[in-house]
Amino acid sequence: MQAFDCAIIGAGPAGMSAAITLAKSGACVAVLDQASRAGGQIYRASADSPLPDAHVLGADYTDGATLIAEFERVDITHITQADVWHIGDDGRILFSHFGDTRELHCREMLLCPGAMERPMPIPGWTLPGVMTAGAAQVMLKSDAMVAKGAVFAGSGPLLYLIVAQYLRLGVPVAAMVDTTPRQNYLAAAPLLPRAMRNLPMLKKGLDLLREIRASGVPVYRGATDLQVLGDTRAQGLRFTSASRSHDIAADTVFLHHGVQPNLNMTRAMDLTHRWNADQLCWQVDTDAFGQSSVPHVAVAGDGAGIIGADGARMAGRLAALNILHRLDLLPQEGLDRAAAPDLAALAAMSPFRAFIDRLYRPSDALRLPRDPDTLVCRCEEQTLAQLRTGFEQGARDPNALKMLTRCGMGPCQGRQCGHIVAGLLSDWRNEPPETVGYYRLRSPQRLLTLDELSRFHAIPAPTEATE
Amino acid sequence: MFQSLRKPERDRVTITVNGHPIEAIAGQSVWSAMALNGQTITRRAALSGEDRSAYCAMGVCFECLVEIDGLPNQQACLRRVTEGMAVTTQEITETTEATNAGL
Repeated sequence: MQAFDCAIIGAGPAGMSAAITLAKSGACVAVLDQASRAGGQIYRASADSPLPDAHVLGADYTDGATLIAEFERVDITHITQADVWHIGDDGRILFSHFGDTRELHCREMLLCPGAMERPMPIPGWTLPGVMTAGAAQVMLKSDAMVAKGAVFAGSGPLLYLIVAQYLRLGVPVAAMVDTTPRQNYLAAAPLLPRAMRNLPMLKKGLDLLREIRASGVPVYRGATDLQVLGDTRAQGLRFTSASRSHDIAADTVFLHHGVQPNLNMTRAMDLTHRWNADQLCWQVDTDAFGQSSVPHVAVAGDGAGIIGADGARMAGRLAALNILHRLDLLPQEGLDRAAAPDLAALAAMSPFRAFIDRLYRPSDALRLPRDPDTLVCRCEEQTLAQLRTGFEQGARDPNALKMLTRCGMGPCQGRQCGHIVAGLLSDWRNEPPETVGYYRLRSPQRLLTLDELSRFHAIPAPTEATE
Repeated sequence: MFQSLRKPERDRVTITVNGHPIEAIAGQSVWSAMALNGQTITRRAALSGEDRSAYCAMGVCFECLVEIDGLPNQQACLRRVTEGMAVTTQEITETTEATNAGL
């Protein structure tokens, strides 16, 4: 079957930028994406917002429409609503498409799986009505759907952004409960002078906080001991702030505790990963061009380590340039010349990223559950106490604990509990995360039926790809 | 309580949720169509049978699994509504599976 020069998985800022760069140099490209239109989570529906005025979401969001328009103009094979569940290092990709199984082949592949929110396993986090701040953003962007009178709790820029967006739209917010530990401000202070070089980003963040403060929405700082109230569904949030316990009534609680790379694709391919001690998460190990431990597999954007949407665009272009070079479509000098601006721009962003990483570094109290009855594995309903028992019975690494307790074996395949389980084991063993390791993941990366597997189609590249 | 701020322009479709017909917007996510019509429960937890609802809304948590046109384990946040679609909340648990298997 005719193979594509390159298959890109994910059409967010990294995937779109890479596809544009590759297509403009004549590569035969396939882009597979879960969404019905390109944009990723960050630019979701930026090109066709269901909101009467999408500008209230901010220029960073609406600017995505320009990139989407450019992406949709280039000559590539863009397959929407494709749910990829197998990626082989032989260049074979299998995915679900409207209930059918499809296959394509490629020489080079670029994975752009993006970020997911860091799970926040507080008591009651599995109750209906508890969602993430990212969920609030997705619902707002793609379906213009909001939750009136919600409480927002956690830490980090995304939390402040969605609260500000709600306020601009006139949606009532019950409270913002900020869990950023006071000591984080002190710890981040020495990094501030270098971060000041990126003044516009810094100003944007401060403006958001000022906007929220000026709105009159109750804001609680330094909150600890969070607990969702309610027996069968969320009825509010209990927490301690300024040494006092507070109960805020709300039927929707949005949690946020930063983002981390969505690892399932890169882990299932068994690419080399490394622990990022600044962002407290695992990430795939790549070079400056996104090339992984398997030379024809590259990873770009937040899925290779959190760098944000602007950084993801640059990383996507860099990965594409290197792939063009590997396809003999770009000589070494051309690669060096074309890559220089993005390499420099990415390096210039890193002091600001270091400041943000330190300021919003997840607290252990929210990263790892404390209450023995709190569910760690949402799918298989394994509590902290059950996992601790499994550990005491001798399951000392994530895979052993999985075998013993079934944690990480449910439909999400450890996407939610992976970092929690690894973090708990690291604590219990008093050994670094690198020693403890992570779940071993395998294809298929989603639930499949035999019926679906029986409806099989191959997708050849449309024209003669370069040899 | 969920509310829509959508501009009124797109084509409407009719789907059923647990047998009840509801009006939705073509291309809307199944999750939002359900939630805006008060059906926020999507599935039961595998062991306890407790109610679950969408958590991440972006395809990562698999809490919003529903049955669509008879096919189980569909992510309501990722699937888009189409005319005549039949959505039911997913009632499968370890207990029901064991019963079906004659255990």
